[in-house]
Order: sequence, then C-alpha cells, then structure tokens
Amino acid sequence: MTGRAAKLAALLVTVLLTYSLAPATPAVADTNLCKPSGKDGAIALPRKLATANRPQEDKYTTADVEPLNSVDIDALGLRTPRTLVVGTQPGGPPTSCVDPSGRYTGYDNELLRAIAAKLGLPIVFAGTEFAGLLAQVAARRFDVASSSIMATEARRRTVGFTNGYDFGYLSLIVPSGSSLDSFDGLGSGQRIGVVQGTVEEAYVVDTLHLQPVKFPDFVTVYSSVKTHQIDAWVAPAMEASNVMRPGDTATVAAYTFGLGNFVAYAVAKDNQPLINALNAGLDAVIADGTWSQLYTDWVPRPLPRGWAPGSKSAPTPHLPDFAAIAARNHRGVSEAAPPKSTLAQLRDSFFDCDLYRQAIPAMLTTGLPNTLILTICSSVIGLAIGIALAVAGISHARWLRWPARIYTDIFRGLPEVVIILLIGLGIGPIAGGLTNNNPYPLGIAALGLTAAAYIGEIFRSGIQSVEPGQLEAARALGLSYRTAMRLVVIPQGIRRVLPALVNQFIALLKASALVYFLGLIAGQRELFQVGRDLNAQTGSLSPLVAAGAFYLILTIPLTHLVNVVDNRLRHGRPAVEPVDPLASSQEIT
Amino acid sequence: MTEPRSVSLAGNDIHLSFGQNAVLRGVDIEVPAGDTVAVIGPSGSGKSTLLRILNRLYEPDRGDVLLDGRSVLKDDPSRLRQRIGLVFQHFNLFPHLSVLDNVMLAPRKLKRLSGDAARESALAQLDRVGVKHKANSRPGALSGGQQQRVAIARALAMAPQVMLFDEATSALDPELVKGILALIADLGSEGMTMLVVTHEMGFARSTSDAVVFMDHGQVVETGPPAQIFEAAATERLQRFLSQVL
Repeated sequence: MTGRAAKLAALLVTVLLTYSLAPATPAVADTNLCKPSGKDGAIALPRKLATANRPQEDKYTTADVEPLNSVDIDALGLRTPRTLVVGTQPGGPPTSCVDPSGRYTGYDNELLRAIAAKLGLPIVFAGTEFAGLLAQVAARRFDVASSSIMATEARRRTVGFTNGYDFGYLSLIVPSGSSLDSFDGLGSGQRIGVVQGTVEEAYVVDTLHLQPVKFPDFVTVYSSVKTHQIDAWVAPAMEASNVMRPGDTATVAAYTFGLGNFVAYAVAKDNQPLINALNAGLDAVIADGTWSQLYTDWVPRPLPRGWAPGSKSAPTPHLPDFAAIAARNHRGVSEAAPPKSTLAQLRDSFFDCDLYRQAIPAMLTTGLPNTLILTICSSVIGLAIGIALAVAGISHARWLRWPARIYTDIFRGLPEVVIILLIGLGIGPIAGGLTNNNPYPLGIAALGLTAAAYIGEIFRSGIQSVEPGQLEAARALGLSYRTAMRLVVIPQGIRRVLPALVNQFIALLKASALVYFLGLIAGQRELFQVGRDLNAQTGSLSPLVAAGAFYLILTIPLTHLVNVVDNRLRHGRPAVEPVDPLASSQEIT
Repeated sequence: MTEPRSVSLAGNDIHLSFGQNAVLRGVDIEVPAGDTVAVIGPSGSGKSTLLRILNRLYEPDRGDVLLDGRSVLKDDPSRLRQRIGLVFQHFNLFPHLSVLDNVMLAPRKLKRLSGDAARESALAQLDRVGVKHKANSRPGALSGGQQQRVAIARALAMAPQVMLFDEATSALDPELVKGILALIADLGSEGMTMLVVTHEMGFARSTSDAVVFMDHGQVVETGPPAQIFEAAATERLQRFLSQVL
C-alpha cells in the first residue's frame, strides 16, 4: 500500500475511533423506528382533520365478501402457485419497513401476513422502490403491493385494489422557524418535497397545481426538510409523525385530508379472484380481532368518523379510546423540544456508533456477500461478452462488426437503471421459469450485459493501440492471423487496459446497488440496501456511512493492486540481474 | 542443428500500388543461393515494401516470387514465411514475453516442439547471437543492440532458408551498429541466402556479393560492389552515392 493510502486509512480509523469513544447515543431500541409502539404510542387525530369534511362518496368498497372457505387458493392467479409474493417499500415505518433482523414488517405487512394465514397461503416479501411498485404489480412481478398505498382514481387505471384496511391524511412538515402555517401558503416559489409516485405527489400536482421536488423515500425527504434543502414536505401524517424525533429542526405546520380515499393492497387489475380472496381474508381478520390488535400495536389513532376497515358488512372493530390515551400521555401530534446543536445532530446523523454496531454485522453477513456475488458474477459475464465484442468489433467481417457496434451503442447509451428495469421487468416474465421468478439472476445479467459494452470498448481500444509491427513480426514468423492475435496482440492489449478494466469493475461494484429496483427478499440485499433499510428504520445516515466504508474497503485496495500490476507489466518482474546501463535510454519504438 | 541447404530467392517484374501510389513498378531481383545481396536507395524507394512482398506480408499486384526456383505465390503464406526470416528496423520484439519466450514462441506453436526441446534450441540461438545471459529478461530491459540480436535469434529459431534484413541497424546507436553488422556478415559467411536493405554503404561494399540500387519503385542499377561504388553507370546512382558517402 502506498503512503497516501496508508494515511487515508489511518484518518478513517481515527475518525471512527473518535466517535465510538464519544458519549453513547440512546440505546438501539430507541432508534429503531420499525417496531410497534403499542397503544401507549397513540396519537389523537389533529383537530383540523377531525372537523374536516368526510371523504367523497365511496363507490369501491364491496358490500360483502365471499365466504373464506369458498376461496380456491389454486385459482388466484399467483405467479408462484400457492405462494403470495408481495412487493413492499421498506422506507415507511411504521406501516412498512424492515426490522433489524431483516424481516419485512410494519402494520401493512403484518396485517397482510395475517390475511395470508387466514387463506392458508405462505407469503414472501421483496423490498423495492415505491416508484416502481405499482408497475411491478401490474406486470405481475408481484402478486400484491403493500406499502400504505392510497387507492386513488388515478391508480385504479393501472391496478386493482382490495377493500381499505387503513386511512390516510396529509401533513405539512416545515423546517423550524418557517413562516409557512397552512397548505394555502404553498406557492410556486417554494421547493416542496414529496416521495415520488405517492398520493402526496398527486395532491401537490393535481390539487395544489405545483411542481414538487421528488424523493425516493420518507427518510431522505425528511432529512432535506431538517437541513432546509426544501421549504416543506407534504407527507403522509402517520409516517411523518413516526420519522420525526423530539428535538428535530422541523415541525408540523398543518394537516389536511388526502384525496378522500382509503389505504388498500394493490393487485393486478384483472386478477379479481385474488382481490376477492384478500377481501375475504381482511374481513376475517377484522372479525377475529387481529386487525384491531395490529392497528393498536402499530398505528394507534382514532378512526375518522364514517370510516371503517373491510367490506361494508365487516363487523365494527373494537378499539381502545386512543384520543383519551393520547390526551393522558400528552402525546399530541406536534411536540416541541429544544433543538439539538448542529454538532450533536451531525453526530447522530453520521456517526451513531450503536448503529454502526448494528449495521456492520448485517453488512458482513448479508450485504457484503451479495455485493460480491453480484459484482463478480456480472464481471465474469461482462468480461466474456466484452472480449467477444472487442474481437467482433475489430473484425474485417461486416456481419460481425455491425452487431457488435449496435450492441455497444445501445447498452452504453442507456442509463444502468433503465437497463436493469427493462431486463428485470421485460425479460423477467419470459425467463420466469428459468430463474424461478427470482430477479437476482436477472439483475446480474443486466449488470453484466451493460458492463460488456464498456469492457468491449476498453478491450478494443487496447488491442488497437498495439503497434502494427507486433502483428507484422508475429506473422513474419509464420504464425496465422488468429494465432498472432491470440498470443501476441490481444495479451498486450489487455495488459494496457488493466487500469481501465479495474475502473470498470469498481463502477460495477457500485452499480450493484441498483439491482434493488427489481425487488429483493431480505437475504438478497446488497451493502447499499442493507444500509438504506437501516437508514429508513432509524432516520440516521450512519448505516449509509458504514456502507460507504465497506465500499471504500473494497475499492481502494483494488485501485492500488492495479497500480502494482501495471508497474510489474511495464517493467517486468523485479530485476534479479543488474540492469544494463544502456537499457535505460532505450525504449521500444 | 543441421544447417538447411542454401536456396535462391528471386522476384520477377513485381508491381504494387497502394491506391494511387505506385510503390513498386516492375522490380526484378535475384539472390543466388548462399549469396548476400545488399539493397540501397533513398527513403521511399520501395526497398522495405519489396522485402514484404518476398515473404508475402504484402501480395503483389503483378509479378512472381521464386524460392529455390519455384513460384511460391500459390503456397500457404504462413508456411512460406517459416522459410524466410525477416528482421525489422524497430526489432518488434514482443514486450510481454521474456527474451527466451520471444525466441521459443514460433517454434513451439508451429514446429510443435516440446517445451524442453524448444528451450534448448532457443538458448542455442541466443548463444549464437551473444545474448544468452539475457534469456530471462524482458525485451524492455535490453539495449537496442541486444534487442536486435534477440530479434535475429527469433528469426533464426525457425531455421529459415533465407534471411531478409530491413534496415536492421538504422534504429541503433552508432556504437552498436558494428556488432550487428558483424553478426549479419557472419551469417552470410555461413552460407545463408540474405537480402539486406541497408544504409550502411561500408557494409554493402565489403560484405555483399551484389548490390541493388533502387529508386522510385524500380531497380536502377545492379552489380558487384566494386562496380556500383567505383563505376556507377547512371546519374541517379552517382547522385545518391555523392549524397551518402
């Protein structure tokens, strides 16, 4: 390792040590947002909401449901027979999140587990981005989407919905000290944050007629509010109140109803049997009290007047008097605490050593192996196809050269995310039998095919940079064109581009995080996503810093390794004989 | 290793154009078996191109190449090249291989020699040209003179019947030129048929059996060294000699 790298490593270690010796921050349990609060965590409905008009006439909730025992679980159109495959966006505690043990949980997911149990169906969860969730349900990549999805008119054009199991209202979160105090105060001069693809986004665009700033999840948008990156966040009130901590530099300025629709599970539009079955299951868990229990554990707050879960014939659930509990515990929806100092905030955000202790084992056991598997497998694919592309690209035969050219242009010209989504969602259904509907191999394929385009170009430029005299000399000895290329030209070309190849591998290592767009089960998450989920659970950026450290530990030695190899190739093995003094001035020309 | 029987090499009425540019315009050249013929002439006169036609790195537009009196234009060019060694101005050693592997590569691949046999023969060739002690070095660690010796050993390792030299000393520092020329002269005295493109007039005069003067893609004058250097018949040769001598 060179001196500079050693210094950098020393600095990193010093920083980590400093913060691990710093006064311990609250215990892990306190920072875990992905756990039930119990009924003592109850909050009252905001007054403004309670007095607001009732939602528009509900024309979608079914009058009743088919009897549970008449559901034929073999006729539900499931992508894997007798297994319910669920897509969820785990960045939204307490309704949908990943807990520290890697279980996809939260109110939405636990309720769905209970419903699946009623139906006698095993259930499998996969985490993904919210923005692509409904599309993946429509394409039947998932049987069900579970992520506090408001059943809006617009969404009903793409997917079907079950009956409601929760309701939603919106809150306006602003940085402390902001003069904004109502939704009416929002205007086109302000940066208004929303999570992409959510009902909040639709509200800002369609109802307020403003252009919002879009974020991938709640935690990121909330961090942006706290740091004044944006002027306001139009948020789902329940999730927002859960993400907000006492002492944060942000407050709730106002509440409003959403678009007047309930929260439901999304199912492919044409899969009515599954919608019916889930509705039957939902009414069953309402009837046996499971719904009430889960609602009380995870999202304890009074039901708005005129709204109840399940079909119109579902029994009325019995719930504790949350308004009274909230009043007793003085848990209003807006709490005031003295803001923390910038330094303390910084430490909590980036250097929470309890979170490091929690993140690092998960990254070692789940994240690191998956990142390495994704990177190494896609590298092998990229190298094999890349060499073929390079050889075809310098071929004299047009029927070889052109396809290589077109392939390279397409795969190099598209963003990696687009390729991953196209291959994962486009090829996925076709190759479903081959991959057992597992998106992981498709992610590897997408990464490998993209890398091949770059690697092919790297090889081609390397091979073409070898002096023509080398090929001429090899052929003058009587070697055929193929043998001369294979033994003389291509090995030299590859050695010349080793540094560029390593750069490509580093790019691939980082791009492996994008596979998450395809939806992975907990054990398939790579480094970034493990950090991301912990970040979503806790609201702290520390897990992402830990993930970053892992990436650096992988990439920095790789860069230095290539420098050593490069030197070795340039000057041969370390000299064992005295170098001829004349040699130093002589170079091959 | 037994020396192969000496053979003759000839080119008859050779024409070659690269696009509009006529590089060779009806060249006749003959190297009798065991002789050393020097080719002199100004830059761009087509000397190097001629060598590459004789071993068919380039195919002539017209004309014939005869080895041992037999046309070789219909032969497999790779097989022909195994019989005709070529040494380049810029050595063109393979920088990713050791000196020994540079010399062993073609014999191993083409003559299917075992590793040990190829190594033994390669070391013998390196010994013959005086760089056996550098066998395990990379070409980049060698002086220009040593590199050219390796290149000659590499060509000799295929046991060619003819050797072509393309300005083999032009890229060398002056103090290294003499050694390489002596090595080439030794090869000639051992009976190798050789065509030597050179700017070293002293070498052409003292070592060759015949000298060919080329200009503008044509052979202008041919003859024994004494006649070429003492009694040039054409004005073009006289002018060339007055410039280089």
